[in-house]
Amino acid sequence: MNYSLFDFFTDPVFRAPTIGSMLMCLASSLIGVLVFIRRRSLLGEALSHATYPGVVISLVIMSLYFPDSEEKAALGILIGAFAFAFLGLFVIHQMETKLRVKSDAALCFVLSSFFGLGILIASRIQITHVSWYKKIQLFLYGQSATMTDIHILIYGALSLLIIAFLLLLFRSIKAIYFDVDFTKSLGMRVNFFENMIFLLLVLAICIGIRSVGVVLMSGMLIAPAIGARQYTHKLSLLFVLSGFFGMFSGFFGNYLSVFIPLVLQKEGEKTFSLPTGPMILLFAAFICALSFLVAPHTGLLSRSMRIIQFRRKCVVENALKTLWKKGIGEGAKKQAIFDGLKITRISSFFVLLKLVRQGWVEKLPSKNYQLTPFGFEYASRIVRLHRLWEVYLVSYLGQKVEKVHRNAEEMEHIITPELERELTELLKDPKIDPHKQPIPAKIGEL
Amino acid sequence: MREGFSAINPYWDKDFFQFFSVFFSRLFYLLTGQLSLTDLASDEVQVFVLALVAISCGLLGVFLVLRKITMLANSLSHTILLGIVLAFVITRSLATYAGEEFSINFEILLIAALISAFLTTLFTQFLTHTVHLQEDASIGLVFTSLFAFGVVLVTSLSRSSHIGIEAVMGNVDALHVTDLKLIGLVTLINALAFSVFFKEFQLTSFDSVLATSLGISAKFFNYLIMVLVAMTSIGAFRAVGVLLVLSFLVAPAISARLLTNNLKTLLFLACSLGLFCSLCGVALSRHILSFYHIPLSTAGIVVTLMTLCYTLILVAKKTLKLAAKKRRA
Repeated sequence: MNYSLFDFFTDPVFRAPTIGSMLMCLASSLIGVLVFIRRRSLLGEALSHATYPGVVISLVIMSLYFPDSEEKAALGILIGAFAFAFLGLFVIHQMETKLRVKSDAALCFVLSSFFGLGILIASRIQITHVSWYKKIQLFLYGQSATMTDIHILIYGALSLLIIAFLLLLFRSIKAIYFDVDFTKSLGMRVNFFENMIFLLLVLAICIGIRSVGVVLMSGMLIAPAIGARQYTHKLSLLFVLSGFFGMFSGFFGNYLSVFIPLVLQKEGEKTFSLPTGPMILLFAAFICALSFLVAPHTGLLSRSMRIIQFRRKCVVENALKTLWKKGIGEGAKKQAIFDGLKITRISSFFVLLKLVRQGWVEKLPSKNYQLTPFGFEYASRIVRLHRLWEVYLVSYLGQKVEKVHRNAEEMEHIITPELERELTELLKDPKIDPHKQPIPAKIGEL
Repeated sequence: MREGFSAINPYWDKDFFQFFSVFFSRLFYLLTGQLSLTDLASDEVQVFVLALVAISCGLLGVFLVLRKITMLANSLSHTILLGIVLAFVITRSLATYAGEEFSINFEILLIAALISAFLTTLFTQFLTHTVHLQEDASIGLVFTSLFAFGVVLVTSLSRSSHIGIEAVMGNVDALHVTDLKLIGLVTLINALAFSVFFKEFQLTSFDSVLATSLGISAKFFNYLIMVLVAMTSIGAFRAVGVLLVLSFLVAPAISARLLTNNLKTLLFLACSLGLFCSLCGVALSRHILSFYHIPLSTAGIVVTLMTLCYTLILVAKKTLKLAAKKRRA
């Protein structure tokens, strides 16, 4: 039993589950962006659980009256889930506004009450109609394996519907989500759009529960959006990326839920199947975790890289400063440079090596080190920035002379050439710092 | 000890009211020592377990609702699954390593509660503080992922999807006297914590600034509540599953909230409401089994009863208000 990734799109058994769950995840991850921005991810949690009694009731009704029709069953379940999710939304809204129950308690109450009702109804048929009961249980964690091409059609059409709506409403969504008051003043019907979005949310949840399951649906709504948010600030890009992440998770979750049991299974054991929902969600969470690490601006790795680079820059510049203070002539002993750096001997050695390689420092025949003209220029600039900042702190911010050194010690590494120019202009190019030390002239004016 | 009690379930074929008469007479025997714990019928174990769950949840739920952190309870009640699975795996491998007989006991389950509370808090804090993610999204992502991981682990380890499903549905019928001991211990700890620290909990819930200025650490009591929630969820796990425990936590609390503004009355009402619903739930379940031969989910019945209670109290309150208005006009 070996399947390549490609087989999942062509094999008649795997095709429907794969494409079906990708479409479902696409729909939920797109709506999830809105849920995420609005900070209503817990609403998704409540509504997805609220669909459960709807699923149970409609599955029983459909199995009673249309026992052979797959598509009618699928549609019926969608309608039932939709109705109950909407009822849940209505109850939550009423509780929050009319009864002044706090939002979190209202969400929890609806979530558990509806789910309890679902379990109660489901338990009615657990002995009399075992096959229906098993079908109902699939909706807890999702199981896409039993999907057929009919499902692709239904879920594909609904996902397209959601995408079309999002494209149509995109401008309004942007306006509403970033400046409600401005949008209202333009005369846009904000409430209408908000209700529209709630409708889409409920629809996306109803589509998604088939492959993700009611229990984990809320995670699947927000996880792709969270991942995407690490890369971009733009709403349009957020939608695109989130959609991609959703589809990826849909595919790989499905693939892994087939693949892992095959790997784990020992000889002669009974086959078992993993529900797809947890695998899809875990893959989405994996994408999130990866994004937290490697995203170019906000990622932990890139952030710590930037910090490390800055620290190194500070050390290098401090070493240059130490050498600058020795002046040009006999240079400085290795040990004297190392003492000024306050880091371990080995890293100091590498810093010195770097300085020599960059051509800022040269080794004299006396084994002392001395700045090259090039390095001298660089070091003068740092000293200049340090002393300029001290002048600024004392004369403009009224700091005490003896307190400014420490702050300038940090700022000298941060000040950009533009800032330097501004400072020079503002302070009228001073020649002497508060400690009566000369300020080196600007580069090129030496 | 009276003979013949354990031979056949004494509640066999009893209706709703007969259930109560049998239950209370047997409760009397139990209290007077004529009946030992091991002789309890399964219905009685169910009643006791659900009642203890209701008391624990009633106490905790009131504070959760007042502090507006019920969604945290939702998150914790999910992640305990991973805690249980991890504790199970670790103890089993340790037992195999030492060549001992493997058994799961209270301490392990309580450690599991701590592990899961710790993991959830750790990850959520990491996401909000280090990654700068908004709080609702961090909670939502963490608990669903950890729960998903738990489900995958338990399914792969047990080679069946049965436990994963039971985790969200609960299974009252599979309860045993040992479950009674566990939830009894949990209830004891809860009752102790709330009676010893009642003033502190009250203060930190209503005015955390004043509490801090009086030298009571609001943070500590927040963490304490989280640990208690995790423990209670573990105690309730086998009976009602990870989702319905939320109903036990929230529904009695907000129902009682409709009736009173006094904290002590609130606690008392929430507990008794939960107790009442659990008792009636088991009786109703037995009644339906005896007369219609349909085995319904007892946990489902109890939760539905709680929802009905809330609705009834609400309607009654509104009608009374309307009547009072009319009289005045």
